[in-house]
Amino acid sequence: MLEIFTLTLLTLFAITSVVAAYLAIRERDLVKAVVYSAIQSAMYALIYYVLMAPDIVLVYIPVSVGLIPAVLLFVIKKTERYEGD
Amino acid sequence: MKKADVFVIASIIVFILSLAYITALGGLGPLPPINVRRIAINYLNLTYNTFTPYLTVFALESVTSIVWDFRGLDTLYETAVFYAAIIASIALYRGVYMDFKKNTEKTGLSPIAKTVTRISLILIPTVSASVALHGHLTPGGGFQAGSIATVVIVLSIIIFSRYFLPIHGLSKNKALLFRSIGLLGIAITSIALLLIAIVLGVNAYIFQNQAKIDAPLSFPSLVDNYILGGSLLFFNLFEFIAVAFGFTIVFLLLSISEEKVKKVTMDG
Amino acid sequence: MVNEYALFAAYVVVLSLYVNLGIALYGIFARPSLVKKLIAITILSDTANAFAILVGYRWPIGKLPKPPVITELPVTRKVLETYTSTAVDPLPQALVLTAVVIGLAVTLFIAFIIIQYYRLYGTVNIHKVRRR
Repeated sequence: MLEIFTLTLLTLFAITSVVAAYLAIRERDLVKAVVYSAIQSAMYALIYYVLMAPDIVLVYIPVSVGLIPAVLLFVIKKTERYEGD
Repeated sequence: MKKADVFVIASIIVFILSLAYITALGGLGPLPPINVRRIAINYLNLTYNTFTPYLTVFALESVTSIVWDFRGLDTLYETAVFYAAIIASIALYRGVYMDFKKNTEKTGLSPIAKTVTRISLILIPTVSASVALHGHLTPGGGFQAGSIATVVIVLSIIIFSRYFLPIHGLSKNKALLFRSIGLLGIAITSIALLLIAIVLGVNAYIFQNQAKIDAPLSFPSLVDNYILGGSLLFFNLFEFIAVAFGFTIVFLLLSISEEKVKKVTMDG
Repeated sequence: MVNEYALFAAYVVVLSLYVNLGIALYGIFARPSLVKKLIAITILSDTANAFAILVGYRWPIGKLPKPPVITELPVTRKVLETYTSTAVDPLPQALVLTAVVIGLAVTLFIAFIIIQYYRLYGTVNIHKVRRR
């Protein structure tokens, strides 16, 4: 029972990460793209937790959900917000 | 859709399919993996093994013992890459000085956000220190703790202002000093037993943690029934300092206003 | 042997990793903005790390595996035997751990280069720069 529940969670996280990555690449507004990319990274952190890697979760939550979006927001503030053709 | 886009998508699909074909043929071993590899079983078996005292690490956590003992030289060179990336970022900002504006009361977000952040300014460093110092017992270590501590820097820059840290004594040069202390600590810990061995006239290796058959020296692993993990404790502590202050430098540089930097880097 | 549901879950996860790899490569090659390329690079490195962790996992047959941390003291031969037969592979985790932090440092450096690019050319759109 626990095994089936865990594997279902793993599948759900994987599918959500694909949707978030697709939206992050399609989005014109770069701030929204950064938020979608953070959602994708959070899904990957949960996948690592299910795959029994607590060390990676501890490093992934601050780096990929906290610091990289912060850096990207700094960069967007200093450059352009919208991606044109 | 343009012609170039179609070409790019087609080549990506071909690339992905060929990668998938290689893994399906067994390029990465059986997927899904039923059992771990033989080398993994050796690593797991030697993490804390009192029956083979010349091969073990005497730490309870396998990941940290691989990072800083079994494959310690890998991590040393990765730290060198980290050092080079930070130095290159500083080099882009040469000649730019941070100014001090004394009044930070009016800048930043609302007082509610500031009060909540003042609490987490104490809590988050406590958590990261605990993660660093228990790295050989529980999940955690120097890299994780350094990344967690950097969140405080970003929070204080966003919630208060970019003048908050320099006014309270953490300027760029001071962070550079602390980062250098951390890197120096890593270097000294990796050759500490070698230096002692030269004085005593016995054998030793670089990155040695516990005693080997022909090298009798070792870091203390068990003090008064507390497991210390030998050199892992020192490596975690110094890597924590190096990573946290290295990222502090970069975020301080990112927060400098653009007009000022443009004046220096474009004219000078 | 792995049962059918576990096999299905494994295939969905591996397929999602391949799709993410393709999306990230498309972002790097075809999107004009440099910031969007940087976002795509972070997605690419995430995918590579997840694949490494997946290769080190022990797929559950009846019982779930354990993380690679010894939790019982004193460590006797019996404890070690159960530990080696239930824990997942620690080597990919150690490699990914350093790769994430070094990746953050390299990402920061690329971010600085993008800002410098904007100072020099006044845009981060590579198509506009080429037309000048």
